[in-house]
Amino acid sequence: MTLTLANHPITEFFAGPKTLLDGSRLQVDLEELRRYLLEDQRLESVDLEIVRPGDPCRVGYVFDIVEPRAKETGAGPDFPGILSPIAAAGQGTTHVLRGTAVAVVDGGQPGGERGYTSRRGGVAKILEMSGPPSQASSFGDLRHLVVVPHPHPEVARHSVLNALRLASVKASVYLARTAQGKTPDSTQVFDLDGSDYDGRKGLPRVAYIGQVHGHQHGTEVDEHILYGGNARGMLPVPLHPNEWLDGAVVVSYSWGARGLDTYFHQNHPIILDLYRLHDSKEITFAGVVATTSSGQLDELNRNCMVAAQIVKHTFKADGVIITKYAGGAPHSDMFETARLCEDLGIKTAIMVSDTAPDRRAESAALMNIPGVDAVVNVSEAADISWPAPAVETVIAGNPEVETLLADLTELPGVSVCGVTNNQGASRLQSIIY
Amino acid sequence: MEKAGIPVAQVTAMTAVAKAVGSNRIVRGQGIVNLLGDSDLPPEEEREIRKQIVRQALEALATDPAQSDP
Amino acid sequence: MRVVHYLNQFFGGIGGEEQAGIPPEIRPGAVGPGRLLEQVLGDGSHVVTTIICGDNYAAENVQEVTAMVTQQVKEAQAELLVAGPCFQAGRYGTAAGAVCAAVQEDLSIPVITAMAGENPGVDLYRESIYIVDSGDDVSRMRDVLADMARLANKLAGQGVIGRPADEGYFSQGKLRSEFVENTAARRLTGMLLSKMRGEAFEAEVPIKSIEPVPAPPPVPDMSRATVAIVTDGGLVPKGNPDQIPRAFAQVWGAYSIEGMDSLQAGEYEVAHGGYDNRPVEQDPHRLVPVDVLRQMERDGLVGKLHPEFLSTTGNSNPLENSRRMGREMAARLIEAGVDSVILTST
Repeated sequence: MTLTLANHPITEFFAGPKTLLDGSRLQVDLEELRRYLLEDQRLESVDLEIVRPGDPCRVGYVFDIVEPRAKETGAGPDFPGILSPIAAAGQGTTHVLRGTAVAVVDGGQPGGERGYTSRRGGVAKILEMSGPPSQASSFGDLRHLVVVPHPHPEVARHSVLNALRLASVKASVYLARTAQGKTPDSTQVFDLDGSDYDGRKGLPRVAYIGQVHGHQHGTEVDEHILYGGNARGMLPVPLHPNEWLDGAVVVSYSWGARGLDTYFHQNHPIILDLYRLHDSKEITFAGVVATTSSGQLDELNRNCMVAAQIVKHTFKADGVIITKYAGGAPHSDMFETARLCEDLGIKTAIMVSDTAPDRRAESAALMNIPGVDAVVNVSEAADISWPAPAVETVIAGNPEVETLLADLTELPGVSVCGVTNNQGASRLQSIIY
Repeated sequence: MEKAGIPVAQVTAMTAVAKAVGSNRIVRGQGIVNLLGDSDLPPEEEREIRKQIVRQALEALATDPAQSDP
Repeated sequence: MRVVHYLNQFFGGIGGEEQAGIPPEIRPGAVGPGRLLEQVLGDGSHVVTTIICGDNYAAENVQEVTAMVTQQVKEAQAELLVAGPCFQAGRYGTAAGAVCAAVQEDLSIPVITAMAGENPGVDLYRESIYIVDSGDDVSRMRDVLADMARLANKLAGQGVIGRPADEGYFSQGKLRSEFVENTAARRLTGMLLSKMRGEAFEAEVPIKSIEPVPAPPPVPDMSRATVAIVTDGGLVPKGNPDQIPRAFAQVWGAYSIEGMDSLQAGEYEVAHGGYDNRPVEQDPHRLVPVDVLRQMERDGLVGKLHPEFLSTTGNSNPLENSRRMGREMAARLIEAGVDSVILTST
């Protein structure tokens, strides 16, 4: 399976009479895009705006951030199971508009605090385009198309969320189709074929197990997570890493819950780093497993066992990196999977996240499992905040949030998109002093 | 509470965490979201599950954990 | 910098174990290691007062000795208190930690001491003061004092204090978020490769176990026992009267179930941001099983269901805070004559 990313770096992104890519200049006909998004009958209207690095602008609350990507004509499906019929992702050429993103805003449930903040355990996320918070964010230096879908009031909440998801991938593909047939600035080839030959004998085999959802928060019936499915009752599934990078996985609805963004499924930092080590022949990248954290003990034990077995006997891995979904409960599944892998003789490294509000190391040390001793600690920014930069524009999903965002004096790190991340992108580490 | 001498039966679906923090009488719950029940079952069956879990908790309280198999 | 130096009888040159009972003696200027200390602290620093105290005396009269040292430091208008280095000497280390902690607390001036890792003073005081790792080799006196001096000068405002391993002090167990050069992904792959190659690597979290709690003895007869329901799943009466937050809760509530056969859906809500609350809000018994326990009370399986349930939110709760709430809950339950608890945890 060979995936070629055709990179088109964008240096200018602006609205104009026709959607087209001219070198590194991306022009978008917002009216045409609006009409396309409004084909979804659940939507009453859509606001579209382009924001750039340094703009005195604040956006909230963010549903998800997606990188504009589109398959070359005939090369395969865009976001299979959501936008395209089910077919394998991860092969052929995919055009990427580097330096840009689609940021979709959730207006929440009218009148309900639980709509856009807390019911699913996530954090109301803000995209900040200027000042220190933007510099600390992975998304501060991107040009964003901000999409604010307004659903009809009678549409059920789960269906609203489904509409937001659909709008996010439609806008992403719409923009990137401008690159079809165009010569890219550079290409990246992702290919694991010949893993067992080609001078690889004796290289350690390394796999990755990543949780794509945490069931402590449930899922909606029409939620898309893996190939369009909602991941209920899902067993761990072996994937080719290319599938993960190429639209098979999007984040679940937990509100970019403390650092999960579809952008970093498409640019998965761990998968990309394992590819780097594979290409430099330090390791052989053996494969990836998508799994979920479970709210039920039997399911937890079953999933962890199956994931460890896949890594051992299908991937024949010597080492594995395991990461969790956002939140506290998924740590259990990650640690148990790591324990089982170590028991099978597979070396593990895992990534925990630290939310300790008292900033005491003892609150970050929960599990002590023999062998599970390679632990990376991502801070969820409990002790990071900035004075809110002055802004001229606030883009929000509803007037209530608009006022709230405009009046902010302080921006807690945990609220800013791209500061903390559970997919390996974060540079924010919790350090023990 | 155990330090103060009160025997505690902890019903949880996250038994590994309960063990890690040193809980002595751990009883398996159904799940994080439905700890003592199951919203997919009819009410009578659900109540039966709840009864069983509570009964196990009472048994745990009346048992020396050193003598029992967790 | 004006410095006060605390020494035990041995390093103060008075004598060995046979002199361990002597009360504090005050000497003007530097004594013994204090002279080296002045050298390594650099120009402008001098030891104005040295306090020498016997190890046993300090151990038996901690309050008196810490009060006395605090007074001396104040009178000397000192800007720094140095105690030790104590190496492996346990009573010395414990006393040094105590006087440093007291002076820091009362006078808010920099304090510093040094001990070997196994010195009991380390675990007692590492979280509140800076303790330099001296190792157990007394012949390293000069190096240890140099480490202490470097850190003391930084504490006195001449520089940023680095990480424990870099500066040579024992970790204080504090977490600080920092933007670092490598992404978490890069650190993960790096750590895994080191581990697979058998090279050294360092976990970014403390890997240690929580101390076990001895199991309280079993309830002899449940049919005569009072059982209380406690939950960390955040069930509260509608409106959340105690305003228990959905994470990091510092408070808990006690809610009456007196005379109730069941909990009515609609009269309760869940204050917990860590799980999907809908099933419990539809039927609170999924978290707080009043219905079956009331029936069991009637059937004589339990003596009495305690007339209130206690509730808080376990979501992202720091250990120290959980311990405090546990103690408070225990006190209330014991006072009410409760002799067993069913704790439901999400």
